[in-house]
Amino acid sequence: MIVPVALLVGVLCLALAGWATWFVVVDRAVILRQLWGGAVIEAALVIQAVVAGVVLLVGDHDVDAALFWGYVITQLIVLPIAAAWAFAERTRWSSVVLLVAALTVGFLEFRLLQIWETL
Amino acid sequence: MTSLRATTRPTGSGPGRLLVAIYGILALAATARGIYQVAIKLSEAPLAYLLSLLAGLVYCVATYALATNRRSIAWPAVLVELVGVLTVGTLSVVDVGDFPDETVWSGFGAGYGYIPLVLPFLGIWWLWSTAVRARTRRQTAAPRP
Repeated sequence: MIVPVALLVGVLCLALAGWATWFVVVDRAVILRQLWGGAVIEAALVIQAVVAGVVLLVGDHDVDAALFWGYVITQLIVLPIAAAWAFAERTRWSSVVLLVAALTVGFLEFRLLQIWETL
Repeated sequence: MTSLRATTRPTGSGPGRLLVAIYGILALAATARGIYQVAIKLSEAPLAYLLSLLAGLVYCVATYALATNRRSIAWPAVLVELVGVLTVGTLSVVDVGDFPDETVWSGFGAGYGYIPLVLPFLGIWWLWSTAVRARTRRQTAAPRP
């Protein structure tokens, strides 16, 4: 894992969470622009996963593979589900869900870094 | 006079989305962890790890039931969680030997910010209030002066 990318993901997640919080406060549903923000995070996650996979294959870094990939897959699932909900629920509650999803992805990123560093 | 209809509010809409979202995240976390534990190190503590996987599956069922407004499935799932977190929580505090702190329910869900302890109560309250709402609406449907 690349630490700067992980930090970027963390910052983007917090930014999206903040944006979603604002929408909760002003009682608005998720807008498409926020989903594009989520897509940027998702793209960073995919790149990160590919890089991690390559490093693990050819490099000498070692991790608890099952644990690591379990977290990677979980992290990749969260935002798409929140996005699907944003289309189904056109009230402020979709913003609440996006907020929870963004914080979850950020937290999982933090755990991923921990898992990457141990062993 | 549509409010006279004995319908209940869908459990998966409005504020229910948040509940379903948190349930879903916990379901993902617990199930992934349970599969990992059972697949990699079942022999270390079979009872705890099988329980861990079971807890995850129950959360999956609850998430699905709440999201799709299937109350008859949601009720037992939420109640099983309540009994599970209280039983395993108590056992893990009293007898550390048999229950290593590695299931969602250990220590009353302390490893997951006590969310597993709070969630069943929220679930019960939500199932109850979405059902009751229809009843109270019916009672207050009479026109006011």
